[in-house]
Amino acid sequence: MSNNNFNLPDYDIAASTRIRLARNLSGIPFPSKMSPDLLEDLKQRVKSAISDSNTPFAKSLKFIDMKDVPKIELGAMVERHIISPEFASKPEGRAIILSNDESISIMIGEEDHIRIQVILSGFQLEKAYDIAERIDTLLCDKLSFAFDNELGFLTECPTNLGTGLRASVMLHLPLCESSGEIKELRENINKIGFTVRGIYGEGTNSAASLYQISNQITLGISEKNAIDNLKIIASGLIEKERTLRSSLDITKASDTVFRALGTLKGCRILNSGEMMSLLSMIKLGVSLGIIKTEIDAFNILIENQKYMLMRKYGEISPDERDIKRADAIREVFKEICI
Amino acid sequence: MLCEKCGKNHATTHIKSVVNGVVREINLCGICAAEQGLGGFAQTGLAGMLASMLGDVAATGLSDGKRRCTVCGSAFSDIATTGKVGCAECYNTFKSELLPYLKRVHGATTHSGKIPNRAPLAVIPEEDSIDNLKLELNRLVSEEKYEQAAVIRDKIRKLEGEKNEQ
Ligand SMILES: [Zn+2]
Ligand SMILES: [Zn+2]
Repeated sequence: MSNNNFNLPDYDIAASTRIRLARNLSGIPFPSKMSPDLLEDLKQRVKSAISDSNTPFAKSLKFIDMKDVPKIELGAMVERHIISPEFASKPEGRAIILSNDESISIMIGEEDHIRIQVILSGFQLEKAYDIAERIDTLLCDKLSFAFDNELGFLTECPTNLGTGLRASVMLHLPLCESSGEIKELRENINKIGFTVRGIYGEGTNSAASLYQISNQITLGISEKNAIDNLKIIASGLIEKERTLRSSLDITKASDTVFRALGTLKGCRILNSGEMMSLLSMIKLGVSLGIIKTEIDAFNILIENQKYMLMRKYGEISPDERDIKRADAIREVFKEICI
Repeated sequence: MLCEKCGKNHATTHIKSVVNGVVREINLCGICAAEQGLGGFAQTGLAGMLASMLGDVAATGLSDGKRRCTVCGSAFSDIATTGKVGCAECYNTFKSELLPYLKRVHGATTHSGKIPNRAPLAVIPEEDSIDNLKLELNRLVSEEKYEQAAVIRDKIRKLEGEKNEQ
């Protein structure tokens, strides 16, 4: 999987693209006001809408009732960005429909009745939207969606009303961050109706210099315009990051990158925060051509999160986890020579 | 700085947003921010802003407190305190209260974008409809959009079935 990702558009900086469509059925309350019976009925209705469509696509999806999913796997699904933390925190009455490669997930009974999500690696907004839109059309044909001619698709939170579309791009911006420019970029982007937030971490900086840029406005703007605007903003950030990278002192950069690699090759105890900042350096080093490898730092980062490790090694303590993580990471990087 | 919502805890979440040239900054503690859905996945500055704005309307008594949605039973004050709407029908029931705030949040109040295709089948004369759908089917097949084509094919079968029953 890591090998072909490197050919994806802008994968040196754009880790992934996400499209989410919020949809609700008419005539029933939104999920937070639904009884367990109504939620059960909702799950079955969405499940049959997909299976009755009788398409090859529908056959490739699996239905998972969240109450059957063990707690560790719930956490691991959040780490793989398949479901939201909120969705995992209350599995009763909820279900997902998931594609084999986990790029498509349909959450049932989250904040809205249906949330169609498509995640692709790299910078692929149109392709991700096209997939989500096809699923929407398929569901729309079988279910009666709550839609108002004036307000568009109706959602529990008025901030999602209209298109119900949230489009996001996750960018790796270590130099925008270290130069301090991210703060001003963030403020400017907020002013035009988009958000920038650091993922994996509290506060202004992100543990792995990963930032998610998303549209905020969903009413009065078409899906195409919202996506085009996000594309322009994300491309601007990608260009900015590349410009900063091009003026790096290559000796200093190599020093930082190889020190990070040295730590990853030698560590015996590694917590998640340190892993993320080191992998961020590796990703930068690979993009700059300092390190030649097919190891995909973005994937390694996800595979060695807390629940992903417990999924492999069982319910282990935080200390044991840091040891297992160090072992796994050393194994990954042992083939690269310094 | 104290949380604007509960006034008790230290504010740790600061959300700044500018829509239509109006700057709003809200400062919330972790608990209140999480309550407004700001702690998770779908983090948006607007959700918190909306709840605080709607709270203002409820406080001024502009909305008739007795009116309730016939589907979910929500009063406008329920929507104002949570920032969440009870059901689709609430948007109809409380449209006049919600519109000014939708305008401030989104800068617009009229949907522009995808429209689900449900009503038209009843409006278009049946014969035309089947013919049009067949054209559409051919187009989709030629473009190799088989999933969409299958949907149209099912529609045609359904319509033809109804026709034969008459
Ligand atoms: Zn508070
Ligand atoms: Zn209602």
